[in-house]
Amino acid sequence: MPLIEVKNLVKDYKLNVRKKGLLGSIQSLLVPEYEMKRAVDNISFSIEKGEMVGFIGPNGAGKSTTVKMLTGILVPTSGTISIGGLSPHKDRKRNAMRLGVVFGQRTQLWWDLPVIDTFELLKYIYKIPEETYKNNINMFNDLLEINEFMSQPVRQLSLGQRMRADIAAALLHDPEIIFFDEPTIGLDVIAKEKVREFIKYINKEKGTTMLFTTHDMQDIEKTCKRMIIIDEGTTIYDGTVEHIKESFGTSRILVVDFAENVDDFTMPGVEVVDRKDRKLWLKFHKDEVQISNLVYELTQKYGIVDFTVQEPEIEAIIREIYQGGIKLDESLCRVC
Amino acid sequence: MRAYVEFAKKAFQINIAYRADYIAGVINAVVMIFVNISIWKAIYEDEQAVDGVQFKMLITYIVLSFLMQCIYGMDEYFIEYKVRSGSIGLDLLKPISFSGYVFSYNVGILVFRVVMQLIPAMIVSIFLFKMYPPFSWSMAAFFLLSAILGYFVLYNLNFLVWVSSFWFYWTFSLVTIKDAAVMILSGALLPLWFMPQALVDFINLTPFASIYYVPISIYLGQVPMEEIALTLAKQLIWAVGLFVAGRLLWRSAIKKLVVQGG
Amino acid sequence: MRKKALHSAFELFTILLIYIKLNLKAILEYKFDRTFITIAIFCREMISVVVMFLILVRFVHIKDWGYNELFFLYSFLFLSYSAFVLLFSGMRDFPGVIYAGEFDRYLTRPLGLLYQIIASRLDLSAALGHGIVGIILFVNTAFSVGIIWNARNIAYYIITILSGAVIQASIFMFANCFSFWTVKTENLRNMIFFSARRFSGYPISFYPGIIQKLLIFVIPFSFVNYFPAQYFLNKSDMNLFWDGFLYLPPLIAVIMFALVYAFWKCGVRHYSSTGTSM
Repeated sequence: MPLIEVKNLVKDYKLNVRKKGLLGSIQSLLVPEYEMKRAVDNISFSIEKGEMVGFIGPNGAGKSTTVKMLTGILVPTSGTISIGGLSPHKDRKRNAMRLGVVFGQRTQLWWDLPVIDTFELLKYIYKIPEETYKNNINMFNDLLEINEFMSQPVRQLSLGQRMRADIAAALLHDPEIIFFDEPTIGLDVIAKEKVREFIKYINKEKGTTMLFTTHDMQDIEKTCKRMIIIDEGTTIYDGTVEHIKESFGTSRILVVDFAENVDDFTMPGVEVVDRKDRKLWLKFHKDEVQISNLVYELTQKYGIVDFTVQEPEIEAIIREIYQGGIKLDESLCRVC
Repeated sequence: MRAYVEFAKKAFQINIAYRADYIAGVINAVVMIFVNISIWKAIYEDEQAVDGVQFKMLITYIVLSFLMQCIYGMDEYFIEYKVRSGSIGLDLLKPISFSGYVFSYNVGILVFRVVMQLIPAMIVSIFLFKMYPPFSWSMAAFFLLSAILGYFVLYNLNFLVWVSSFWFYWTFSLVTIKDAAVMILSGALLPLWFMPQALVDFINLTPFASIYYVPISIYLGQVPMEEIALTLAKQLIWAVGLFVAGRLLWRSAIKKLVVQGG
Repeated sequence: MRKKALHSAFELFTILLIYIKLNLKAILEYKFDRTFITIAIFCREMISVVVMFLILVRFVHIKDWGYNELFFLYSFLFLSYSAFVLLFSGMRDFPGVIYAGEFDRYLTRPLGLLYQIIASRLDLSAALGHGIVGIILFVNTAFSVGIIWNARNIAYYIITILSGAVIQASIFMFANCFSFWTVKTENLRNMIFFSARRFSGYPISFYPGIIQKLLIFVIPFSFVNYFPAQYFLNKSDMNLFWDGFLYLPPLIAVIMFALVYAFWKCGVRHYSSTGTSM
């Protein structure tokens, strides 16, 4: 029995059609005209307990609308959402008890007070037993080093510290499900790693189901097994991250350090995508060109100092999907 | 010079965008006038004059006072905002005098209010309330002159408070307290005629009366011709004195900014 | 099937106390600034009191309202506004919550929405600023206007102060609900509210009939101070009005709150339909 079940979810918005000019404005005021915009068009998916799923999609694609419906902020136009048997809209408070939400850009901590003060409030709001409360705080101290800044007012914290505190706050009551919205935005590389490690640890230890919306592909790549791509209100892909890489990541890049200047490089099936002095970035499709052949041919023709093979980044793949470059086969969706 | 005119124009245009605000301003002024007149009507209880003050004179005073208050409103947090956000640094680098900029900005607001608020408010007032016209043509002219001087006195007084934002950052408290003093001591809400003598004596030692009471009493013909020059001179002295104080404070504020590095 | 409530009444009360504690702590973080703001608000409110004082020093009475009686009337405004701000400043500042996107956070918490709005804000400076003015006026007049402070009168007084607070809170909240439809009504609301309040500073019998009717039937400020004061003072101008008005303040408060609550629910429903970004 999946923990989260979304069936035929639809969200329509009524948009005010504003006419131009003074007469138009008056007309809009007296006789408003509406246009229906379908932000979410018949989305369905289910998520089992303990899964870690990333939602990605271009801005305005409907992914934040979908997440808002899952968290009980918005009401669907039609379709059903069931989270552990409860409707996020109808059973808002009950659902909220076992939900944690991290908004990357907005903190839930009281700005002028130490972190621990907000924790105390959360303890009573979520009715956290003393034992759990203490254990979790100890865990946060161990893994996120929260005790270093726990008694400082939130406004004095660095972004990294504040993010850690926000994540801790969301996990304080051992939620069954946690939603992350841009959790690593603005963090430096080390901080991002720490956060991702921590998130994976929580998922393993507590079996918390986790959903991510983010533009940071690395977040998804490093933490999620499963990925749902939403574009123009529909899911265009629902499957593992690996699978996307395998299926669509057919291109490779060979970065070659030549011994001399190579000005007019041509080779069938190989595209020069970048160059810097004697270094060339060569793109090819692994189905068309065998890498060993390529290297052989290169060494035959030119002097080579060094070379590396780059695998495709999820980022590039997604970008191509967004831009419609890669066509997603119907059969590939709903693959797990 | 050209630049300053542009700033004034800009302030005018920005204010046009706040249509709701200016309608509210007009209505507020009319409401205040109405409340005050009703109260005085109750006080007068159908008597024509109290203490030698005709009821109609009082009405005229009230209307003038609130109309003037309406248009004298300035952007009290303009400088504070720039200091707090740090953009003051950029403004001071520009090749124009910043305090000149602030002045022309506020003059723009004044002109806006005269055109957009004063005129409709005056029309409404003339219909609703029976006022006296100016005592005479010459008094009308002196009234305008005096009102302009009064505006300068108020502006320079305000400027002192605004510049304190370089030290205090948040000037809400100071501005509010200053406003309280101005409202009471300048005759804005209550003509000086009805105040205890001790208080009036005190007020005459301060610049406050110059802002509202003096111009209005000229309008009402209460200042005889021979005293006009002296009265206007007093206003001028206060305006200049406060201006000089403002300059000194400004200079030390800049110094502080430079030393602290914003 | 009746669901069991998530939090017991006691638990909700405890949570409220913690909210209050945190609010106070945050206020104390800036106690220097806050003190000045309180003083500034006090000064600002005292302007009208000082003007009234100067007038009364000179004229002693207006119509048949004496010096103390007028100040007694005025004290209701400050005390009830202070109670309003003390209890309901969350409702007063509600549009800011929506525009900052905070309301979304409230929706993801297992607490009632109105509860969170009321609990999360406390404007002590305004409450003190207005409250101190009110207390000064009350203390100076309550015992010189012929009122016997027996249990019945004390009860009536407390009830009308609270009713006045709820009436004023309802007016604010009504205007604020428009924020759900992203319509900014702050200017209009302030203009209407504070104009009505200015009028109410003096007995409504001083004003023409149309104003009186407005203050009774449209913006019921007369139930905040005029009729409660008349209950105690019974001045002759009360003959102009129906005696029943003296007992209406709590009823008006309840009706207004009920109406505003319905409008609020409407607004929440609409918000859940559209959110802030659309």
